[in-house]
Amino acid sequence: MRGSLGTSLVFHILVLAWAMVTLGAPEPLNVADTEAIPVEMVSVEELTQLQQGDKTAKPNDKPSTKPTENKKVIDKAENAGEKDIDLKTPPTPSKKPPTETAAAPKPVERPTPTPTPEQNEVKEVAPEETAPKPQEMAALPPKPEPTPPKPTPTPPKPEPTPPKPEAAKPTPAPVQSENQSETGELPQTPPVPAQRPQPPKPEPPKEEAKPVEKPAEKPPEKKPDTPKPTETAKADAKATESAKPTDKKDGKKQETAKSASSQKSDFNADQISALLNKQEASGGGAKRSTSPASTGSTKPSSASKLSLSEMDALRGQIQNNWSTIAGIEGLQGMVIRVKIKLDQSGAIVGEPEVTSTGGSDTARRTMEASARRAVLRSSPFKNLPADKYDAWSDVVVNFDPSELGL
Amino acid sequence: MEQVGLAAATSEVSLWALFMQAGWVVKLVMIGLLGASIWTWAIVIDKYVNFGRMRRQFDQFEQVFWSGQSLEELYRALSEKQNVGLAAIFVAAMREWKKSFERGARSPIGLQMRIDRAMDVTMARESETYEARLGSLATIGSAGPFIGLFGTVVGIMTSFQAIAGSKSTNLAVVAPGIAEALLATAIGLVAAIPAVIAYNKFTADAGKLSARMEGFADEFSAILSRQIDEKLQPRQAAQ
Repeated sequence: MRGSLGTSLVFHILVLAWAMVTLGAPEPLNVADTEAIPVEMVSVEELTQLQQGDKTAKPNDKPSTKPTENKKVIDKAENAGEKDIDLKTPPTPSKKPPTETAAAPKPVERPTPTPTPEQNEVKEVAPEETAPKPQEMAALPPKPEPTPPKPTPTPPKPEPTPPKPEAAKPTPAPVQSENQSETGELPQTPPVPAQRPQPPKPEPPKEEAKPVEKPAEKPPEKKPDTPKPTETAKADAKATESAKPTDKKDGKKQETAKSASSQKSDFNADQISALLNKQEASGGGAKRSTSPASTGSTKPSSASKLSLSEMDALRGQIQNNWSTIAGIEGLQGMVIRVKIKLDQSGAIVGEPEVTSTGGSDTARRTMEASARRAVLRSSPFKNLPADKYDAWSDVVVNFDPSELGL
Repeated sequence: MEQVGLAAATSEVSLWALFMQAGWVVKLVMIGLLGASIWTWAIVIDKYVNFGRMRRQFDQFEQVFWSGQSLEELYRALSEKQNVGLAAIFVAAMREWKKSFERGARSPIGLQMRIDRAMDVTMARESETYEARLGSLATIGSAGPFIGLFGTVVGIMTSFQAIAGSKSTNLAVVAPGIAEALLATAIGLVAAIPAVIAYNKFTADAGKLSARMEGFADEFSAILSRQIDEKLQPRQAAQ
């Protein structure tokens, strides 16, 4: 036995040693580098739900409304727009023309302020705006004429610009004037000047200054001087602007007259219309967007949906009012479908629409009638979440008579 | 970075490393199973050698026994030696025969019974030696896998605890622990499978040897009974 034990021991040691050598280091399993595939779980509901965007824009990966410039973020805003208050009215395209027209008239308005600049430092801001325009629009020839006004306005520049809220305007003005010269949208511009909402801003300084100036009689003398350069410059620059100069001449004179009169009296019809226009320009909601516009629905779609328990609660209210009719046969496979419209208070609007399938004709008729009675009796429905009104304003409830315990 | 990790992982999969990094319970199980395997193979070798020798001795003795040699001479030749198997049965029966006749046995039936009893006792003693340690083979064969499984379960438990600790389910973290745990089951099976096979084989062999011994005992008993009759007949006639 001892011998065999020794033999066994030796045998085991040999086997183990062999195993150590051969099984020591198995070949490392080389797994090829494969790129992980990102998998996203998207419910059908999520996919089919329309998302807010711009109907007219080209489709993109993600629906988005037009980018907004207003950076102020309003919580829970649903409607896209620039406003600070979330309004349901969508931003209408009609707003754009006013802004464009407003841009165009600027050159016309400035001539009116121009008369005052030399007299008053405050008004000189306007001349600054007008002064650069002739240069840009007229190119070289008129230069000598407009340049003289330049030196005078430049010194006051720093003073008037900071206080005025129009600080932004001086800069856009040249751009707009350039646009005009480039695009030639002039025909649109002439009618606008009178209605423009912008005049009110420059007016306050004028009102203060003009009473003093007018007695001095300096404005009339200077007016012809200042308008001339602009007109001449424009005339030189563009032959197409033929309508403009005439309008401008008239307009300017009228405006100057009007402005003088309007500055004195607030009853100017133009001014009222301008104010009205300003209100019209507002629209849209307060939801901001930074990504470029892409296709989507203009109406913000809320993902609200009645939960199962809420649906059961609604169904339960109907079932409680369902007077059971014993001994009806032919209910096998019958499904009663009740379609109701509810108002905010949960009351039924109109007539509930009851249809049913399966079962025998007589049983179906009986059950439809009892379903209608039950639905009407259970109005108004209670305990429906008010914030999900979208989900339960139009409800379809299915009933299986065999589950009603009839 | 990854290659280093893989290389490190593979270096830890060698048998010795697997054994060394196992917990003490698993180590104990593995060592126990290794001992069981050694013991199994020791028994297997021992039995194989013994049974082979036994079969040869049986053949030799039967050859001598049926060669027509005088039973007295054969007894004289064998009684001096340490006898096993058929020879031991023969010697036991002959010794009882001799003793009975030397003292002058009167009843042939009593003599026959005594001889049979002596042969049975010797046979039982012999078959006991044949079947010795076959029981431990059976135990190893049946319990080995369970012991290995126990080691595996403990190993995997600790391995999962390690996963919980490291908070990583990376296969590289899990694999060594599971491999180490499975090694216990592997050793258990390595010990148990030969044990089961050997147990079945040696039980059958021991059964065959026992049957052979029984057959010889019956035959020898018949011969002796004839001899008794022959020897007692003249005495009864003389009386």
